Amino acid sequence: MEAIWLYQFRLIVIGDSTVGKSCLIRRFTEGRFAQVSDPTVGVDFFSRLVEIEPGKRIKLQIWDTAGQERFRSITRAYYRNSVGGLLLFDITNRRSFQNVHDWLEEARSHVQPHSIVFLLVGHKCDLEAQRQVSRQEAEKLAGAYGMRYVETSARDAINVEHAFTELTREIFALVRSGDITIQEGWEGVKSGLVPNVVHSSEEVTKSDRRCLC
Amino acid sequence: MADTTHRGDPCYGDSPGIIVQNGSSQKPHLASDLHHCNPAHCSIRPVHCNSAPCSKIPAHCPAPHHFFCDGPRLDDYSSDPDSHSLTSQDSGIPTLEIQPAELHQPLAPRHSSPATLPLNSDGDGVHKSSTFPRSSFNSVRPFASPVRPSAGNGSGILNRSDNISVCSGSSLSTELSMTNDDAADCTVTSDSSAIVALETDDSATHFSDVTLSSSPEAVWSPVKPERRQGPLASLFNRSLFARKVKDSRPLEQRDPGWKLFGKVPPREGPIKDPKKIQKEYETKSGRAGASNPTSPHQSVRKNLDFEPLSTTALILEDRPANLPAKPAEEAQKHRQQYEEMVAQAKKRELKEAQKRRKQLEERCKLEESIGSAAQTWTQEILPNWSTLCTSRRVRDLWWQGIPPSVRGKVWSLAVGNDLNITHELFHICLSRAKEKWRSSPAPVPENGTDDAGSSDRESSLELIKLDISRTFPQLCIFQQGGPYHDVLHSILGAYTCYRPDVGYVQGMSFIAAVLILNLDTADTFIAFANLLNKPCQMAFFRVDHSLMLTYFAAFEVFFEENLPKLFAHFKKNSLTPDIYLIDWIFTLYSKPLPLDLACRVWDVFCRDGEEFLFRTALGLLRLYQDVLTSMDFIHMAQFLTRLPDLLPAEQLFQHIANVHMTSRNRKWTQVLQTLQKDQEKSSPVLKR
Repeated sequence: MEAIWLYQFRLIVIGDSTVGKSCLIRRFTEGRFAQVSDPTVGVDFFSRLVEIEPGKRIKLQIWDTAGQERFRSITRAYYRNSVGGLLLFDITNRRSFQNVHDWLEEARSHVQPHSIVFLLVGHKCDLEAQRQVSRQEAEKLAGAYGMRYVETSARDAINVEHAFTELTREIFALVRSGDITIQEGWEGVKSGLVPNVVHSSEEVTKSDRRCLC
Repeated sequence: MADTTHRGDPCYGDSPGIIVQNGSSQKPHLASDLHHCNPAHCSIRPVHCNSAPCSKIPAHCPAPHHFFCDGPRLDDYSSDPDSHSLTSQDSGIPTLEIQPAELHQPLAPRHSSPATLPLNSDGDGVHKSSTFPRSSFNSVRPFASPVRPSAGNGSGILNRSDNISVCSGSSLSTELSMTNDDAADCTVTSDSSAIVALETDDSATHFSDVTLSSSPEAVWSPVKPERRQGPLASLFNRSLFARKVKDSRPLEQRDPGWKLFGKVPPREGPIKDPKKIQKEYETKSGRAGASNPTSPHQSVRKNLDFEPLSTTALILEDRPANLPAKPAEEAQKHRQQYEEMVAQAKKRELKEAQKRRKQLEERCKLEESIGSAAQTWTQEILPNWSTLCTSRRVRDLWWQGIPPSVRGKVWSLAVGNDLNITHELFHICLSRAKEKWRSSPAPVPENGTDDAGSSDRESSLELIKLDISRTFPQLCIFQQGGPYHDVLHSILGAYTCYRPDVGYVQGMSFIAAVLILNLDTADTFIAFANLLNKPCQMAFFRVDHSLMLTYFAAFEVFFEENLPKLFAHFKKNSLTPDIYLIDWIFTLYSKPLPLDLACRVWDVFCRDGEEFLFRTALGLLRLYQDVLTSMDFIHMAQFLTRLPDLLPAEQLFQHIANVHMTSRNRKWTQVLQTLQKDQEKSSPVLKR
């Protein structure tokens, strides 16, 4: 039996290839860091429960996407159903920072009419010596796009919990205030209060189910 | 603390030397714990137990026990009171397996205790005394008294801890300021390695029975850590223990001593065992979860070559005389229990042995069949490839898996070379790629104003570099400096020059890697290029949306046909094929499946074409349909994108065989074509 959670948020993690998306997620959901791991081909899935306040648990469904540009056309289909996202770049890779703009545009154009709450994440902050992007400029960019900025390191477990929890809190606040609402057919936010009803939204929309008798 | 009362006891000399732990000398306990009597002139059997009264005598320690004893030369021992004490290293662990000391890397010490014995010329290595619980072992060194030149055994003593019951010298004891707590501390716990390995769960079952510790009221209340008994008392105790064995000890869980006790000590080849065991234990525990939970224990057991009979000794002895005698029924009960345990242990051993034998037989059979198949392929089939490749017999053999030795050749032949790529062409592409690498150095350019084409190419090259090390990292062959790193780099780089319109796409590195493992470089390139040129691969690697969707739609037709219930479940949970198929198709299963299994899939894929990729997918779904039916979206997605490590090959192929790629009398190709036509005139319905 799963623990009862208030809401389920679907988060998507995007960013250039090799910035460390999978590592960050693994650190968050499995508590481990692997120096070397396979490149993500397509999408990988993770989940974890976070307690943003005592007694308030949110289930996070995390979609880890392939970063290579070629895969964008596949992954862009996934923005629509995500309520939140972590946009990662690698602080030691300037190009990955420059591409943040593209990623955002991509996301925003494919998420209509919904919107995604993004958190800008500067990853690999443990590699201070090889930094190519300063904190200030990243913060500035984030501010310009209305996002918060966090620097993380999966290797040293810096701010990993913080990043996800921050984003979750932000989304939670918006859900509470009604700015984000649960909608049928939209997977971004699901209510956990009535467990059996979780799938009802899908049932309703699947009007073209064929008879399988 | 030095107890000088023993001085007069020839067998009870103070242990010489300071026991220093990890280089820091600590207040040594009384080192006379060590029984350092040369049995030759000491009638008292060596006692290894440092709990007082001395507990057990390793009945399995045969007479020629060398102790760092220097019978009569007590005065040679350091008179420094501080030099004595051995902290009850192992309290009472009676004779743990006695083995030659060997250098070993102790696991984290449980506690910093005891001083260790000074090593003599043996060097700094911590010699593992098998009698010590590993955990505290690192602090104990084989007892080496530099001052005992006359010790007949000389330096041999120390080096052969099998002879030394260095058990921490517990000697009889009394002086041992061993408390029960210490005892607990010193016992081998799961921190210790090999010994521990024995203790863990399953293996514990092997041993715990032998451990009579379950008899609570036992007996062994005993080890009253009595400090200073008179020498006579200890002597008395000692002699009683000469051949006695505690029949039970109140050490709850940690009774490794017993477990090891059961091991007949001077056994052949045990020298290796602890190390092997330790390694195995460490690797297994490191891979916790990934492997069969019972296997570590099995192999540990195997190494130990445990003989239940050796536990006989456990019960032969009666309770030490200074303890209240056991009531007859109790003794009887214990005897019975003991016998049962032995019987069980024996049975288990037998079963294990049988199982191992069977496994060995199967493996031999398999190897033989591979060997003979290889011959068939090499001698009959390959020379007549064009005529035989479509024959029933060959197709059947193919299904069973191509012998690794001919695999590359068969793949090459099956994939063919429609593109007519020559070795020369490969080399040209390769040198072009190398030039590019030289001209565009690794670091990413600072200005983001590259034109789309070149930046894509550059990032392609850059990405190739990064991805190579990430390809099959667990094999450790494609990493920088690894044997196949450059080859993989060459293949992928050459391909981007050969097909700049496709370039490098993640997933390709896996395909190239598998080919590299089976073919030489130029042939790999040819096979790689031709493989990627197949319609399905081209569609996916170019991310041709409509084509991909068509493939998915065709897949779903056969999915529904073969697994209607699961199909409905997936639909209900919005689990669309792209979620799980992309990784499978892009990498031709080389990433999601264990390598050997992936190769078998490739075998048949070479025989049957792209249809087999989707058939395999259905086989996997069929294999796991029960599990999947009970899951919700996220769990299914997680499961399918991270398949279990121990996928049973034969079972999978069985399921694949049961998948019929026919729907309403149409085969894969027909279905695909129909869908494609529909797609072309279609509606946005099919598009996302």
